[in-house]
Amino acid sequence: MSSWLANTISEAEQVNDWLSPKRAESLALLKNTPWPNRKTEAWRYTPINVIERARFSAANDTDVQITAIENLDSIDLVFIDGIFNLQASTNDFPEGLFITQLSEGQSCEWALDGFKKTKPNKHFFGLINDALATSGCIIDVAANARIERPIRIVQSFTSGSQSHTRILVRVGPSAKVSVVEQLQGDELCFNTSFAEYDIGEAATLEHYRLAMQCQAAISIGGSHFSLAQSAKLTSNLIGFGSQLSRVDMDIIHAGENAISKLNVIYLLDGKELFDLHSSFEHTVANGTSDQNIRCIVADRANAVFNGRIHIHRDAQKILASMNNRNLLMSEDAQVNTKPELEIYADDVRCAHGVTIAEIDEQAMFYLQSRGVSRIDAQVILSFGFINELVDQMPNVAIADWLRPQLRNRFANMEIR
Amino acid sequence: MLKINKLHASVADNEIIKGLSLDIKAGEVHAIMGPNGAGKSTLSYALTGREGYEVASGSATLDGAELLEMEVEERACAGLFLAFQYPVEIPGVSNMEFLKVSVDSQRKARNLVPYSSSEFLKLAKAACKQVNLPLSFLKRGVNEGFSGGEKKRNEIMQMILLQPKLSILDESDSGLDIDALKIVADGINSQRDGQRSFLVITHYQRLLDYIKPDFVHVLADGKIVKSGGPELALELEAEGYAWLESYDRNAEQEVNA
Repeated sequence: MSSWLANTISEAEQVNDWLSPKRAESLALLKNTPWPNRKTEAWRYTPINVIERARFSAANDTDVQITAIENLDSIDLVFIDGIFNLQASTNDFPEGLFITQLSEGQSCEWALDGFKKTKPNKHFFGLINDALATSGCIIDVAANARIERPIRIVQSFTSGSQSHTRILVRVGPSAKVSVVEQLQGDELCFNTSFAEYDIGEAATLEHYRLAMQCQAAISIGGSHFSLAQSAKLTSNLIGFGSQLSRVDMDIIHAGENAISKLNVIYLLDGKELFDLHSSFEHTVANGTSDQNIRCIVADRANAVFNGRIHIHRDAQKILASMNNRNLLMSEDAQVNTKPELEIYADDVRCAHGVTIAEIDEQAMFYLQSRGVSRIDAQVILSFGFINELVDQMPNVAIADWLRPQLRNRFANMEIR
Repeated sequence: MLKINKLHASVADNEIIKGLSLDIKAGEVHAIMGPNGAGKSTLSYALTGREGYEVASGSATLDGAELLEMEVEERACAGLFLAFQYPVEIPGVSNMEFLKVSVDSQRKARNLVPYSSSEFLKLAKAACKQVNLPLSFLKRGVNEGFSGGEKKRNEIMQMILLQPKLSILDESDSGLDIDALKIVADGINSQRDGQRSFLVITHYQRLLDYIKPDFVHVLADGKIVKSGGPELALELEAEGYAWLESYDRNAEQEVNA
């Protein structure tokens, strides 16, 4: 066992709160799990030894500027190095919305069951988060409630900090809500941030994970969703990549006629790495899932995508699709992509495609025929390649806020 | 304005244009008609410089400048415009961005200051209204999800904004109902100012009811086999293109005799 893991386990054994019974289960699993290395399939392209080398403290007491999303009237929950910041957060909530700090979760009778309900045990750092996450929040949306203002959970991480946060969300039957997980902080820090979403019958969740920590940050986490009958999920993930960025997304179709859609944009530069493992579990019949992953990878950056679709034996009449398109901007840029399809039902339609995209010559000619130079056209078309997914975001304010940031980041890539 | 002299062009080593000559003067509207496979689209792509359309010999000049030696975008900046038969969809790039970068690029090439965003927005809105497209079409992806008729009107909108010297309209009437046809024709007619010229490629006389050409040419087997006034289009409409074969034979006999 690595010394880092041994220390982590002994630290976790000191934690004593209302979640202790659940934490103990994960600790037991952790003790029997070897430290992941290149031979561990889930970590094949993403070395994690940097975690062992760096030294982190629990939290810093520093002032942090929280990035605002212009024109977004949101309900804000702000965490700095994993500690809830009351001043920066919203404290009046609309009817039908209940928010509780994780540390006070014993007051929510469903929370103990909700913890680890959706997130599978297979994620190594998910187990570490189970054992160590003492901060975070519990969000409960009442049946039929329509929460107009998006809930924005901002997590900011300062230099040298280590933190583990957990978010539990329950969306009641026929309720509608939008949740934004925004992660920021580019300096060397280490955080695990896992969120679990239990989406009730005919409920709708609009979800954003803005994984925009770059440079030295080490960020590992996941968003995990379970969809009841006729539930609807649209999820958007933006990945900027850093020294080590890893996100696991699990979408479980637990009820029939649920619809899920995941759109992902990676924009990687320098030596950044972003690793997404997505997994769609169709456990029951009649369901639709769709995932689109678009990557632009420049310089010596590395994009990893592992997309799994698992259609269980009795899950007939499933429509599942997965499309991963990659644009490499330099010869040293890398994409490691792997579709994993496990289909045990016979009456399903499952489409998947992976491409290393070239510029579309027809579109190129069209632009040139209007007087646009080949170089300018290339920039426009490459940006259009990811902007197509930004255009699909249901929240216009978030899309309008993201677009110039993506454009800037992309323009800076061009210069090299 | 546009002078084409003995142009030979091929696609994938098949010669399609076989010694075509055409002279379009400033302010004129010429129509080219002809059966499928005559080389109408090949002519428009060879002139605009599309990859894969090789010119073996001949020349094509626009106001004296040799087009065939220029890059695609240089030809556009020199004042050549092609309204595509099948306009390309570019999701993720808004129509507005596409129009602005096109106009900016051409103004830059002509050493003109670029329009400010608000100036250009005004122009674009006016052009959009002129071709009877809702203003929301400026925000949508280029041609993304547009109907066939909307795509054609979007081409005319680009022509209105770019103000080219010579516009080639490649079957701008195909797939249009009569109302859309009138909008497209009105858009083209609004651009006729006695200076700018047009080359209208079409299968049918129909469009020429609305855009009165000065000359009509019949293109067959890569050559212009007959030229005349607007009445030639009516003749073709009545008799179809089948008579072209006998026309060819007669011509050969005349030559032999």
